[in-house]
Amino acid sequence: MSPTAVLYVAQAFHGLAYGMLLFLVASGLTMIFGMMGILNIAHASFFMLAGYFCYTVMTLTGNFWLALLIAPVVAGIFGILTERFLLRTVHVQGHLAELLITVGIMMVILEGVKAGWGTESMIVKIPRSLDGLISIAGLTYPIYRLFIIGLSIVILGFMALILFKTRLGKIVRAAVSDADMVSALGINTPLVFMLVFGIGTWLAGVAGAVAGPLLTVFPGMADQMGLDAFVVVVVGGFGSLFGAFVVALFLGELNAYGIQFIPRLAPVLMFAFMAIVLSFKPMGLFGERE
Amino acid sequence: MRNSLHKWILGVAGVIILAIFPRLAGIYYTNVFLGFATFALYAVTLNLQLGYMGVLSFGHAMFFGTGAYATALALTHIQGFPLLPAVLVGGLAGGLLALILSPLLVRVSGTAFAMLTLAFGQLIFVLALKFREVTGGEDGIGGFRVPPLNIPGMVSIDMTNQINFYYFAVAVIVVCLFILWFYTKTPFGTLVVGIRDNAMRIDYLGFKLPQTRAVNLIVCGTFAGIAGAVHALLQKLVSTVGVLDIQTSFEPIMMAYIGGVGSFFGPIIGSGVLRLLEDLVIRFTERIGLVNGAIFILVVLYGPTGIVGLFHSAKAKWFHKEKVS
Repeated sequence: MSPTAVLYVAQAFHGLAYGMLLFLVASGLTMIFGMMGILNIAHASFFMLAGYFCYTVMTLTGNFWLALLIAPVVAGIFGILTERFLLRTVHVQGHLAELLITVGIMMVILEGVKAGWGTESMIVKIPRSLDGLISIAGLTYPIYRLFIIGLSIVILGFMALILFKTRLGKIVRAAVSDADMVSALGINTPLVFMLVFGIGTWLAGVAGAVAGPLLTVFPGMADQMGLDAFVVVVVGGFGSLFGAFVVALFLGELNAYGIQFIPRLAPVLMFAFMAIVLSFKPMGLFGERE
Repeated sequence: MRNSLHKWILGVAGVIILAIFPRLAGIYYTNVFLGFATFALYAVTLNLQLGYMGVLSFGHAMFFGTGAYATALALTHIQGFPLLPAVLVGGLAGGLLALILSPLLVRVSGTAFAMLTLAFGQLIFVLALKFREVTGGEDGIGGFRVPPLNIPGMVSIDMTNQINFYYFAVAVIVVCLFILWFYTKTPFGTLVVGIRDNAMRIDYLGFKLPQTRAVNLIVCGTFAGIAGAVHALLQKLVSTVGVLDIQTSFEPIMMAYIGGVGSFFGPIIGSGVLRLLEDLVIRFTERIGLVNGAIFILVVLYGPTGIVGLFHSAKAKWFHKEKVS
């Protein structure tokens, strides 16, 4: 391949890796929104929290795989506690209060990590087995990014299997479309909500743990990812997993090529895209309801 | 009759306190007070959206920041730009931004409104960060001089004197607050509250919902812009972090919520409480955000009516005069 073509293909893979991470975060966000009607502003904070846990487990044990396993689970447990003790308490006050309390949670987590780990960015080392470059058809590419893409695909496949082939998945899908009706059928929806919230934060946690070596762990990492994920959910349509998937990949590529061609405007592109879509389709590309 | 006498006494006492405040508190606390006052005005404009209209804006800083930038840019680039127009230009810029965005923003409410405002706020933040030729990027715009207040044929008051500036800023803010208070009492202000409580009914009564929402948005944008302009004149430095970032958008939400949403004076009280708290907390720990966030969560959980609401229910409980609403 010619050097330019190699550059383009490499950039496409960069975009794909980021888009996959984005989808891991956004899928939880859009599911939580679809079921509970809560836009979880603190969602990306759990992503960041998992990054920090990953760093801590790494420094304690030196084992990346252990960190990858533990960090998302701890983030998920934090998510479940948040849902059970904070969100459920304000549920009676309506959506505005739920939205506001997630803002409070975001601030507390942000300041909490600053107090606990400090403000400088920390580097999570890539394990030796995933370090280095791999060469496929004249294209050299970091193994770690391929690993991210692969891991995301595996997790997504697994989640899709649960969502579309099991009874639990059926309940979740039904609750996304009408939670009251599902509750009336005698299903314990608060429990399902808690579970979905936990899984959503766990997914964000997985993204956070694998993103640690890629983006480094720092207090601002939630902002960037959070806004991107939020754009994905809004543009893809609230509660639409398929929309989130398409838009996440598209935004990943938009980001990658935007940085290459118009570096100055790359961050603006995303919001401009969102403004254009919302001007014509206020419900998002694949969304049906507000 | 007795009630209006109370109000007169309160008003006169307020004016006297404002007048002698710089002599009592010294220059440091005078500036702290001005910081509080600008944010009080800013929080009141947010509350016109949140409390009166029932929509939550996560990007309110865009109006505040645009106003601040407009004033700073006017003072930097136009030689001999007078003081009052500098403040007005901030308000104009905020109002203009609201006017441009209103066709998109008035169509949605609830969570969608929160998200759209967040997106536009972020868009403006990133734009200001990237177009460093105009905005100075992360460094911002600084070093402009605050012009003297000229009343043609009468006096020229030097505004680099901090005491003079204090009186000017307080006058601007009090006048703005009064206009806004009056605005909430007009039939149009009642209409806005009506939309919050039952939009469909207002629609059936023959009022135009989108236009009403748009006008309210523009009023909020204008006065938030003026608050930003005063902020720029006070700090003599405008940078993206501090006037446009997401923290600046969240702060008035916290102030309004802690003070009491839906009450006109709630955000002012909330702003004062938050500032006093920050002054207190910073003596013990650097993590002000942690304390603020925790307090905010507690308020949302246990006292959603805020300080004003708590005050009213306490009054009703102890004096059995008013019913708790």
